[in-house]
This record gives sequence, C-alpha cells and structure tokens, in this order.
Amino acid sequence: MFTIHRDAARDADAAFNRLALRVHAVQRANNPVLRRYWDAVSDGQPVAWDEIPPVPVRAFRDMPIVSGTAEVIFRTSGTTGGGAGGGGGNARRGEHHVASLELYRAAARDNYRRHLFAGAPALRLISLVPNPADVPDSSLATMAGFISREREVARTVWAFDPESGVDVAAVREAVASPPPPPILLLTTAFALVQLLDALAHSPLPLPHGSRVMETGGFKGRAAEVDRSTLHRRVHGTLGVPESHIVNEYGMTEMLSQAYDCVAGQGPPAGERVHRFPPWVRTRALDPADLSPLPPGRPGLLAHFDLANAASVCHLLTEDYGSVTADGGVRLLGRAPGAALRGCSLAAEAFLRMTGAA
Amino acid sequence: MTPSGAVREPTGAGEALAGRLTDAWVLPPGIPAPDAYDRLRAGDLPVRHPTRDALDADTLISALRDAHLGLAAIPTAGMVRILGGAAEALTRELDRADLRDIAANGRLSAAMARAVVEGMALSWTTAALDHLVRAEFPDPRMLGGFVAETGGREGAADEAAPGVRDDAGEPGQPARAAAAAAPRRYVRAAAPAVTLHFGAGSVPGVTVTSMIRALLVRSAVLVKPGAGDIALTVRFARLLHRADPRLARAVAVQYWPGGAPEWDGWERDLVRAADQVVVYGGDGAIESVRARAPASTRVIEHPHRIGVAIVDARAPGPDDADAPPGDATVPGSDLLARAAQATARAAALFEQRGCVSTHLVLLVGGEAAASAFCAELADGLAALETELPPGPRTPAEMSSLHQIRGRLAMKGAALGTAATGSWTVILASAEAFEPIDGRSVWVVPVDGLEPCRELLAPLSPVLQTIGLAGFDGSRAAALAEDLVAIGATRIVPLDQVPFPAADWLHDGARPLRELVRWSELR
Repeated sequence: MFTIHRDAARDADAAFNRLALRVHAVQRANNPVLRRYWDAVSDGQPVAWDEIPPVPVRAFRDMPIVSGTAEVIFRTSGTTGGGAGGGGGNARRGEHHVASLELYRAAARDNYRRHLFAGAPALRLISLVPNPADVPDSSLATMAGFISREREVARTVWAFDPESGVDVAAVREAVASPPPPPILLLTTAFALVQLLDALAHSPLPLPHGSRVMETGGFKGRAAEVDRSTLHRRVHGTLGVPESHIVNEYGMTEMLSQAYDCVAGQGPPAGERVHRFPPWVRTRALDPADLSPLPPGRPGLLAHFDLANAASVCHLLTEDYGSVTADGGVRLLGRAPGAALRGCSLAAEAFLRMTGAA
Repeated sequence: MTPSGAVREPTGAGEALAGRLTDAWVLPPGIPAPDAYDRLRAGDLPVRHPTRDALDADTLISALRDAHLGLAAIPTAGMVRILGGAAEALTRELDRADLRDIAANGRLSAAMARAVVEGMALSWTTAALDHLVRAEFPDPRMLGGFVAETGGREGAADEAAPGVRDDAGEPGQPARAAAAAAPRRYVRAAAPAVTLHFGAGSVPGVTVTSMIRALLVRSAVLVKPGAGDIALTVRFARLLHRADPRLARAVAVQYWPGGAPEWDGWERDLVRAADQVVVYGGDGAIESVRARAPASTRVIEHPHRIGVAIVDARAPGPDDADAPPGDATVPGSDLLARAAQATARAAALFEQRGCVSTHLVLLVGGEAAASAFCAELADGLAALETELPPGPRTPAEMSSLHQIRGRLAMKGAALGTAATGSWTVILASAEAFEPIDGRSVWVVPVDGLEPCRELLAPLSPVLQTIGLAGFDGSRAAALAEDLVAIGATRIVPLDQVPFPAADWLHDGARPLRELVRWSELR
C-alpha cells in the first residue's frame, strides 16, 4: 500500500513537472519581459519546476504580465503586495491577465465545492463579497458569482456595497426569510468584522448547518484580529461553530485557491493547514537567499499555479508560512518585522509623492 | 526577551545582537518614579517603559517649565561646556556592552553602531557646539539678554542694552565705545520654556542632536526617542543629569509606543502643553503632531528626506593644468573610483536610513562611465560588508528587497547584488527610481547637467543633501544655484555627505535660530 502511494505521488510529481515545464516554455516564448527576467536571474534552462525563478507578485503592479491572449483582467484591491486577500490601501493596483473566465472557474470550482458545500445539498448564499456586476475586475467577486450559480445555491443575497460596506439590514432580512436551507456566508475577513461589530448587541444565529467562508487577512486595516478570536466571535454572534468556518487563501495574481478545512470538519484554528488543488505547488523559501526550506521551517511562500497559463505560473509572494511534508501550507501572515525607518524617505511615501501609487 | 545583563558577544554580519533590558525613561528629580511598566522589544533591545497611568503629563511639563528658569541662568559658554563635556563623556564611556545595546536597538552591527555614534559625536564636541552657537548667533549674549543691533547686523555691536541682563545672568555692563553707528535696536533670542521632541526611528544620535540644540538655547526638553534610538538617548540624558543639577531638572526622556490608542490622550496632552514641538518622522507622524498642536505652538518638522549624488565623469583630466592641486575631484577612473567609494560609505552608514543617505547617483558622462562607476560602487559596498557589517534584516525587509530586485530585473535594470543580500547596485533609468531600504543605490546615466535638473525636479519636496564629485569650485557654485531652485538644502562634496557639521542648515533652517523667539527693543 505504502509503495503504491509513493509511486502515485511520484507519478503526480512527474506529471506536474512536465506540465510546469511546458507552460513555462510557452510563457517564456510569448512574453519578452518574463524571458528577460529569467535570463537575468537564472543560469540556464530549468529541468524541474522549482528551478524556474518565481516572479515577485509586486511586478503585477508595474506592468501587464501577459503570456498569450487574455479574456479578462482582474485588478488587485490595492493592498501592499499580493497574497492573503483583502484589505485596502493606497498602492498602485496590479493587473492579472487571465486566459479565460472558464479557466478561472475550472481552477476554482472543484476546490470551493469540496470545501464549502460538503454535507449541504442546498444552501442560501449571503455574500459580503461585492456582486461581480458591480466590480467585474475583482477576482474574488467573480468567484462569488461562480458560487452563486451553483445548483445547490437556492438563493443569493448580495449584502455588500463597495461604497457603503456591509448591508446589515439585508443580512438580517436574508437570515429571517423562510426557506429552510442553511446559509453559506461568503465574506472577506474585514467585512465579517464589520458585520460582527454591527451585530454585537443583537446576535443573529444562522440556521443549523450554516457555514462561513472568510478570506483575506487584515492588511492595511486598523484592526488585526487573530483567527481564534474571529472564530469565537462568529460562533457567539452568528452561532456558526468553528468547525464550519473555512478560511480561503487566494490572491488576484493567482487563479487557484487554498482552503484550510472542509466545512463541518474544521479543527481549531491553530491546527489548520491550507490545501491547494493538485495543480499548485508551494515552497517556503529562506528570506535571506530564497533557498528552499524543509517542511516545517517558515519562510517566504512561493506558489507554482499551473492555472496561471496566460500570465506567469511561479509567484514569489510576501506571505510567510511553512509547508507540511504532504504539501499543505501553514500560513503565518505577512513576513514579520517591519522595516526600520530613520529619517530617510520610504518607497511608499516616495511613490505617493510622485503619484505613482 | 533577553534577561537583564544577558549579553551575547558581537556577531557577524546580519546576525541579531541581543541587548540588555533598558529602562526607556529618564525623569527629573522630584518626579515620582514610575511604579508600573510595560515591556516591548525596540529593534532587538528589550525595553520597559512606564504604563500610561504611571505618569502625569501636566506634572512633568510643569516641572520642566519651572526648570527652564534654572537653564536661563547658565551662560552660553557654560552650557556649551556642559553639553560638550557630556557628549564627550558619552563616546568616551561607551563600552562594548553599551555599543551592543545601541546596535541591538537600531538593529545595526556593533561596528556600524560605533561608526555612527562616533561620526555623529563629531558635531557634539565642545568645540563644535561653540562653533555652532557662534555661527547662529554672532553675539551669543543675545541668548541671555538684549544686545544692540547696528546697521542691520544683529549682534554685531559689542554692546548690551543698559539695564538688561547679559548672557551670563549678570547686569549688563555700561555701553562700551560701540561701533560708529548707534544701535538701531536691541534684539533678544529667547527659547520657549519646554520643547517636546519626537525622535526619528532608528538612526542613533538624531535625538541627541535635537536635545542638544534645544538646550543650547536654554529650552527644557522632553524627549520621546525614536524606537531605535532609545539606548543612546537614555545614556546621554543620564550623563546630563550627572553633569549639572540644573540640567537634571530640565531634561526628561520618556519612550512610549507612538500611535498606540492608549497613549493617544498622553500625546495630545503633551503636544498641547509644550511650548514648542520638534518632530522627526514620516508623513503620518508629522501630520498627527501638526493636527494636535495649538495654532500658537511652533512645530518644527523634519520629514523624511532623500539624498542624491551627482558625479561628473567628464571632469578635467589629471594633466589638465586647470585642475586644482589636491582637488578631491580627480578625473577619469580615479575620480570614479573615489566617488564610488564615497557613495558606498554614504549609502552604508545608517543602513540608508538617514535623511542624508545617498539613494540615487546621477552619473554625468554616459553609459560606459556609469557601468564603470557601478562596478566600483559594488566593490566598495562589498568591502564595507567587512568594515561595517550590516545589521540583521527582518523577513519583511528581505521580502521587500526580493520583490524589488525581481521587479527591477523584469524592467531590464542591470543589478549588482551581494550574495548575502546586504547591498544592491541598480543601473537603470530615472523613471524606475524608488528608494529602497538597506544599502541599495541607483545609478542613472545622464548626458549633462540639464537632465540632472529635470530628473531631480520631481524630488523637490523631499530633496535634502546632494553630494557632488567631479566639480571644481566655480562649476559646483553654478550647479548649486540650480539645485537650490529645486529644493536642495545641503550641497557638499560627496565624501562629506554622511556626517553634517554641527552648524548645518538642517532641512533648510538655521538649527538654533529656528528654536528661539526673537524679541526687539527699540
């Protein structure tokens, strides 16, 4: 049995490697900027996917990274750097050119269905993620649109306005409406905190079997709440147990997502590991020299997402975490340790001053 | 957190130094010692500071205001001696453990901490402070009483106003035979009673300089050091307390986590109560103080700045008869090598965190010269890794560096980088420029001086120091006129960039004169 598993894993690795090198060859041939980059930072032709130098996610803010034709362009929310989702800020928005919406849907669908729909033949969707009709260039909103069209979703209430924030009244009304199916609350962590604050004195228990998918950290926001605290608040206010709260890790620059549990089976927050679909590989890299770190050692996360066919697959994020021996990802947030400042101008301030941000 | 007294030996490049637990306050005698503390890590230095409830802002400001009267009785020469003596004792008495604390606090290597403190201390000596006072006030007695001003030359007359006290606190002497012209008026430079200082993040010595300036003009000081400048500031304040009881009553240091919600009321109270505020910092810190200060309170701002170098590789050759003997601007490859060494030092000192630090070099002379300069600069930075090892860098800092290095490579910039990640040389166009933390220098080839002006114009609001190499006196003077027009406030030979003289016109202002209120008597 063990041998069979090991062989299967080896086969999967080989298949991943073949595909990765093929996609890399296409991206290299089609994108002179990437070609120049790889020529500048590497010694020769890679023979394995992890020899392909990752592209810094901030590069998406500098220039379009297009390797072929793109049907849609997603734009970042302006957070400082890619990864770990939500938040705002003043930074220049990055662009991710995506080959097709269908590719994005295919990359996202199996994973969100498996992690969010488990044990629920029917769901009502309350989305604190904006309606994709309002923000068509948001990858997260587009995914919310995919989810809303799934057959299990009986009804969708869009309860977040990009201008005014969470529509608490709409949430209340949706929860109170008669159809019995449990609710899937789709939300950014920031919007979730807004909702919990608004309901602080009047809890709003969701029906049994309801679940919450929250995404994004709190980058650029004043409040920073750890996940255990957030889970306790969700349970206290919405009645959704921790086992039914799922964190999604994704970023505009990447078509695939990772989830930290299957709804209804979630362990305590501190024990969770994010799982990508099999067409994504993640490494933790030493912050000093970007050399790969062994399982369990935290470093800068680099993801290789085969779904990023029309842009670039291998991404160096600013997120910090470790990988497990079986390919899971333990997220630790942004790389720790704020940059030390003296009285010299910082890049962000400079870019604001020159209008480049 | 490292227990008090547990100090490791200095480590090599990039490794963290652990400092000793440091009390981040020095309070005047009579102010009750705090009885409750919070602990935090300032850089790699464990620090404790009083809790919010352990101190009363009004009591502290009142005590300092009373002490201001004692300061006023110290003559200028005496104050110079006290401050210079304390500063000289500071550098003389610094032992290895002290340096480790300062290094850990600023997350510098011990060698860098020593170089920074010793360099900064050149402007704190008795001689330097004496020069500073005389440069600012031709007749320093105006700090203690009215002095005559004749013909528009304030302080030029050697005459104190009758009946007013002179700088030594003694009644003015009868007018001597003065200059030919009768006094037009009498002028007096008086310091506000209490100056509140908000120090900058992590350049050791910036806060000490700020304290010294205020004390020279006899203003009592309440200092919040930058988080990375606690260790040195506290040591200096203790030396001042030891040096003179009048200063002990007039000098207070207190660190608190700036911007923390629980300290908001404290900050508001202090800014409202102080007579004058000096603030170093980024846009947020300065705007915060500006918003809280009453309209009648003077706020002296030192926002973040950027330093630039202009190197003219077309300077006349060594055989050129017009080349001044011994001029630092030796032409050709020697010029490039020397300019590159000076740039490397200007970038490495303070780990590029100083307002004077050189981030951008405009290399006049074309691509080939720029490439040669970059090679020399890379060699210089590599050599400094041994002489002045870099401090430890956080994962966030390294992440930021990897991101920008990758972005620059995608833009086609030529990069020279240390394997250790400690320095980066970037040869690129000016359009791509943005400041980078750490020892990172941009080199932009330009065809002549006119493009320099155009390229620097967008930096005008934050421009400060411009180091020059390859310019003789007359060309430097001509260029300086243009640089002044776009905002430069300090134009110096490149090798003088890192450590300004005591009397430098900091951010375009007179360092002592901006701290005083002028009064006239006609």
